[in-house]
Formats: sequence, C-alpha cells, structure tokens
Amino acid sequence: MAAAEFAYELKRASFAYAPDTPVLDEVTLRIASGSWVSLVGPNGCGKSTLAKLLGGLLAANSGTVMVEGRELTRESVPEIRPRIGMVFQNPDNQFIGSTVEEDIAFGLEGRCLSRKEMRARVKRYAEKLEISHLLAKHPAELSGGQKQRVAIASILAMKPGIVIFDEASSMLDERARGELLQIWQDMRRNGDYTLISITHDAEEIMASDRAIVLRGGAIAADKTPAELFADEELLQACRLIAPYRVRLLQELRNRGMDGAGIIHGWH
Amino acid sequence: MRGKLLIGRSIDTGSWVHGVDPRAKLTAMLLYLIAIVAVGSWPALGVAAVFSLAYMTATKIPLNYYVRAAKPLWVLMVFIFAVQCFTVTEGTVLWQIGSWTLYSGGVSLGLISASRMALLVSFTAILTFTTTPGLLNQGMAGVLKPLEAIGISAQRLTLMMSIALRFIPTILDESQKIVKAQAARGADLRELPWKEKGRMLVSLLVPVTVGAFRRAEELVLSMESRGFQIGAPRSEYHLLVWKRRDTWFVLSFAILAAGVLAYRFLM
Amino acid sequence: MAITFEEVSYAYDDGSLWRSGALERVELEIRPGTFTGIAGTTGSGKSTLLQHFNGLLKPTAGRVRVLDAVVNAREKAPKMRELRRRVGLVFQFPEQQLFEDTVEKDICFGPLNFGMSLAEAKERAKWALSLLGLDESVLQRNPFHLSGGQMRKVAIASVLAMDPDIIALDEPTATLDPQSRAELAALLSTLHREQGKTVIVVTHRMEELLPYADGWVIMKNGRTLFQGTTDALVREAAFLEQEGLAIPECITLWNKLAAEYGLEAEKPCLTPESLADRLAEVLAAEGGAGEREGRRA
Repeated sequence: MAAAEFAYELKRASFAYAPDTPVLDEVTLRIASGSWVSLVGPNGCGKSTLAKLLGGLLAANSGTVMVEGRELTRESVPEIRPRIGMVFQNPDNQFIGSTVEEDIAFGLEGRCLSRKEMRARVKRYAEKLEISHLLAKHPAELSGGQKQRVAIASILAMKPGIVIFDEASSMLDERARGELLQIWQDMRRNGDYTLISITHDAEEIMASDRAIVLRGGAIAADKTPAELFADEELLQACRLIAPYRVRLLQELRNRGMDGAGIIHGWH
Repeated sequence: MRGKLLIGRSIDTGSWVHGVDPRAKLTAMLLYLIAIVAVGSWPALGVAAVFSLAYMTATKIPLNYYVRAAKPLWVLMVFIFAVQCFTVTEGTVLWQIGSWTLYSGGVSLGLISASRMALLVSFTAILTFTTTPGLLNQGMAGVLKPLEAIGISAQRLTLMMSIALRFIPTILDESQKIVKAQAARGADLRELPWKEKGRMLVSLLVPVTVGAFRRAEELVLSMESRGFQIGAPRSEYHLLVWKRRDTWFVLSFAILAAGVLAYRFLM
Repeated sequence: MAITFEEVSYAYDDGSLWRSGALERVELEIRPGTFTGIAGTTGSGKSTLLQHFNGLLKPTAGRVRVLDAVVNAREKAPKMRELRRRVGLVFQFPEQQLFEDTVEKDICFGPLNFGMSLAEAKERAKWALSLLGLDESVLQRNPFHLSGGQMRKVAIASVLAMDPDIIALDEPTATLDPQSRAELAALLSTLHREQGKTVIVVTHRMEELLPYADGWVIMKNGRTLFQGTTDALVREAAFLEQEGLAIPECITLWNKLAAEYGLEAEKPCLTPESLADRLAEVLAAEGGAGEREGRRA
C-alpha cells in the first residue's frame, strides 16, 4: 500500500456534544505517517474527544478531517475505519471475547476472513505480543498488562496503519507500563504504524516524536517533548511533571552546575 | 478479584462430553428440560436421576460441583415442596393440626417436584461446565438460525447472550467490591438488622448501575473501533463439525424425553 | 503496634478447584503514627493484604492484630463495627462507590452508620473536606458533576470523616494527572504529620511516596519480599530489581551517585532539589570539576 505522506490532516475541525459549547474548537493539525505523537493537556481539554474524532468514532460538526489523504465522511467511514485501531484505558472493558484467542478473532470475524487466515493472524500477533501461552485464558485469569497486550494484538491483527492509544497505560502497574513503552518503540521502529497516544506519563511523552498540547479544545502548543518539558508554565497548565532526570538537570543548572556533564557519566 | 463464581466458567477435564458439538448440547438440554417437566412419578424420577448421574460422571467433573450449582436455589426447592404439602389432598393422612391436614400424596409429590428442580439446575450446569462461552455462543447461533425465518435476528440474540456471559462475572466482582467499600464505611449487610438492610440497598444499587453503564459505553466504543456493525456479515472463528457421536448424544436425550412422556401419558 | 500479622495466609475459594492463594505466611508490623508505602506487581497480594486491616477478609491461617482487635483464622471473627470505624479503608477508584445526590450526604454516610448525630456528621464532613483541600461550597454539589480528581478526593473524605486512627488507601492516585497525584500524596503526608494518623498507601508509582514514607512493604507472589525503612529500601534496590520490582529513577540515580562519592551511609536524597543540593556540596568539597574529571580518568 502506498503510504500517504500524512496520516492526518485536520482543517478547522470542530466538535460539540451540545450546541454552543464546543469541545473542539477549529483544530488544525497535520500528523506525518509513521510518526509518534503524544496528545497532552489537562483533563477536560478535549483530548479524548479528539482521539474519537481521529478514530472515526465521532464526526466533526464543521471543518475537515483527512485520513491518509481521504476525507472522513459518513460515506467513507466504513472504508477508512479499518485503517485505524484504538486501544482504550480500561483493559477489562475492551475484552470482548471470552478467551484471548476469541478476542483477537473478534475483529477478524467482522472482516469475514477465512478461518485459515484468522488462525494464522491470531498465531502471528499472539507471538508478536508474547501472549501465545495465554490464548485459551479467560480475561479473569489475566493481569491488566496482559489484557492490554491482548487488546493491542487484537488491533494489530486487523492490520491498521494508525493506532490510537487513549490513556492505555494509566491503569497499569510500573512494570507493565515499561513493557507497553517497549511495544510502542518496537511499533515505531519500522515505521509501519502512526502512533497517537493520549497520556500524562512523562516517560511516554519523552519517548515520542512530538507533543501536541490541547487546552480548552484548541491546540495550545505543538513542540518536541524536550521543549515541552523545558516550559515550566506550559507544564503547569497541562498538569504535567517532567521526568526526574529532566528536573534534576534543571535544578543543577539553577545552582550553576553543568548538569549534563555530571549525569552523563552515569549511563 | 477471583470470586466464587460458577456462572460462565468452564472446567476443562478433557472428557468426551467436552468435545460434543455445542449445538448438540443445546438441543439435548432442551430435550432434558421437556423430560424433567414431564417427570411425575417415582419410577420416572429414578430413571431421570440415573441418566443424569451417568452423564455427570462422564464429564469427570467432581459431583459436588453440580451440587454447588444447585445450592443457590434451595429456598425455591423448599418452597415448592411446601406448596405441594399444603395443597395436595391425596393419599393417606399423615398429620393433622387444626384445619390443616398433611397427606402422604402431598409429601410424595413435594419431594418429586423439589428433586426435579434440583436435577434440572445441577444437570444444566453441564452445559457451562463443559463448553467455553465462545463455543456456546456459536452453538446458540446455530440453534437459533431457524428463527431468522420468522424475522428474529439470531445474531442479536447470541450477541446479547455472549456479552452477558462475558460481563456478568465482571459486574458481580465489581458489586462485591462495592459491598466491601460500603462495609468499610460502616454499612456491613451481614451485621445490620433487617430493616436497615433495605436502606443500604441504594448505596449498592446506584454505584453498581452507574458502573455497568460505564462499562457498556466503553465496550460499545471498543466494538465499534474493531469494525463491529450489527447485522453485518461475519465469518466464524470456531469450526463446528457435526459428528456421529453428536447425533447419538442428542438421541439419548430424545429417548429419555420420549420415555418419560410415554410413561406419564400412556401408562 | 498498629498492625501485626503473624504467619497470615489467605486463599480465595479455599477448598475448591479454583483455590488461589493470595497471601502466604505474611509477617508484618506497622507502628502507629507512621507513613507506610506498599508496592509490588499486580497480583502480588497488596489489595488482599489491605482488606485484612479492617476485617473485611479473615485469614485462612495465622493471626491478625489491628489496634486492640485480634482476628484468628480458626475462631469466629468478633464484631467488626468498632474496628471498621477506627481503620478507614479506601478502595481503588473510590469515586465509584459514591451514590448520594450531594457531596455532604455522601460524606455523612459513614459517620451516620457509626452512630454519630447528623449535626456531628455534618461537622465531620466539613472537617474532612478541608483536610483534602476542597472548598466547603462543594458540599451541596452533586458528586457526579465534579471532575474525576475532585470525586476521588470526596470519596477519600467520606472515609476520613469517620475519623479513623489508621487510614489505608489502595492506589489512591491511579489514573489522576501527575500534578494531582503529587498533590494527593502531599495531602496524605499532611494527614500523617499534622493529624497523627497511621497512613498506609498501596502504590504503583513509588517515586510519588518516596519523599514522605517512613517505611515500605514490598510484596511478591503473596509474600513480603521486603519490609523496612526507606533508607533500607534504597540500599536493597539492586536485590528488589532482580526480584522484578520496577525501581524508580530517583533511587537508581542516588545509588550511582552514592557509589561514586562514597555516600552509601548517608540518608538518600530522593528529590531533584535535595539531590542537586547534595551534589553541589560534594563537588564543592572536592574542589571543582577539574579534579573530579581527573580522578575519574
């Protein structure tokens, strides 16, 4: 498939659940194919709504949303949706099947794939996410981190080009969060996927290419993660805290020391 | 939290009953239901009991699991027994208090009715004990297919059942958690007098309902983002092959039903 | 001791096919008036442990002492009412337990259940709200119309309003934004310092509590892998990491620094400010960066 240059091009896209109270107010942005973008901002800034708009689960009231060069409309949604996968916050509520195997197969059944193709994909993506030994398990027997792996396998098995993670790590423990970050880095490596992640997690933002800051339904900043974490005022507004390492460097700099020179030796 | 949930949990012992086609099992259960309803005498009950025990043993699942499956309904069984004792006026007089007389026919019928109930509940547990929910759904879809001729969507019905089977345990777990959370706030149902219990019910019902709706909402989003559309054609992940063994399985239940019916109405 | 566990085991569905051991011969001591963090991977038994603190779960073996109550595996449990008031337990996502149509009614639920008068309960509601830094105007609002972070605080206030001696919270900061998490951790520390409460917090983000906690309990597979002071935890970090615990960066950075400058015996500096201060001192004492580079080469 010839990949479009941009996974998304939004032009003045607005959305409101109720008239006169826009949740998204004329959002214009471009996301390059194969890039990894963090969507950040305080709660209620419209991040999740934007994610649903990008996922084709909501339609913009005005403006345009282009996905891989095609405009998202009511008519084109059924054709464009298969290009986009979404992983949500609560691992339990997106586990549709009653076993891991069935859950991965759920989306494939909807594509009317042959049984042979389904089995092959279940096997392949279970291996990829290292859950082959769990295929027969019921969700009650899995940890949150394992369930999120299943959710990702279910999405990737449908071969999307874009994967949107809506606070997908926030209910996981420290270790599972680290593993998820690793999965994202693997997905990013070959450039097969455009990753969009809504997150508060400093490490996750730091690992991405670009941070888009939403405030009051509009884009307040569009920076590299390093720039974002250097902007104390913006961090306050987004209710974020920089990674420990970044804060330490700042404190050392405040004391007139060359933080980078000191810390570098430790790695 | 793993609770004490028997609903929707299969126990894999690898017996031949586990391998029976789910459509055969569902049909067999319907025949069993007919047979049990028709049981009206001690010999018929005896035959049904022996038949049931034989199959229960064949599943290699410890018999006390079947007993436990019927346990929650013991109040209902006692009630059925009592009703028969009060209303039937056949046989010899066993006991007389004031205007009320207990007849031997009442006791006999009461025992038969209560035993029927116990058999039915514990035996139908075979279905969920030996079949994974996914297979059960697919079996259900097969059995219900004829209904489409009269305009009932089998897909809708099975979807409803599969989601119920998948989420009832989760919601029960969550209810248990809320019961505990409220107990920690001094509303322990076990320690409160009866008239207070009613008042406490709202402190459980509101959070459980709100939680169930939140889950439903997230589940719908997740299904939609995996391309699910109600009524759209789907392929099936599990392959169901009807074997000769399945025919014999159904036939054995048909013979039981026919026998019991014949005994009841012809003898 | 506020809480003592003697060889406590607990199994869900004891005696069935699904029996699953959640706690295995746990020994635990938590002193009154301390701030304790509990960490460990998912399924290590942290939540099960917490539910033994106020008698919601009864051990299947061993003995639990909490304040002056004793719960033995083999004996019938005593009436838990008084213990429940004195040990406040805040579950994961406590906002999901709210049910009344005003914040005030919801916070008064606990105190009223424990036999306080309405006037007293309302006083307590105000007090608890102020402890969590919420404005009194919230009292008459519908809890379901508050933001997620505010709902969380209201739910915690509803347990605090019972004025417990011990308050144990299961991942109170989960899913909140980083600044709300830091604020909540600081509030819990205030409860401990200013109100003298014994505070016990289960967390997946150890770095949040490290500046405040006196002691730590690390769980793995239903057993206590570690119990001791924060300083001891920092010293044992390598071992704990080997056992699968994710060690926060503030600890690994400190340990590297301590190894490099021989500071192992010192109290660890676990915030960027304190670490930067300490580094400045160390470097000044060494007589500047040039000499340091020379020594390293």
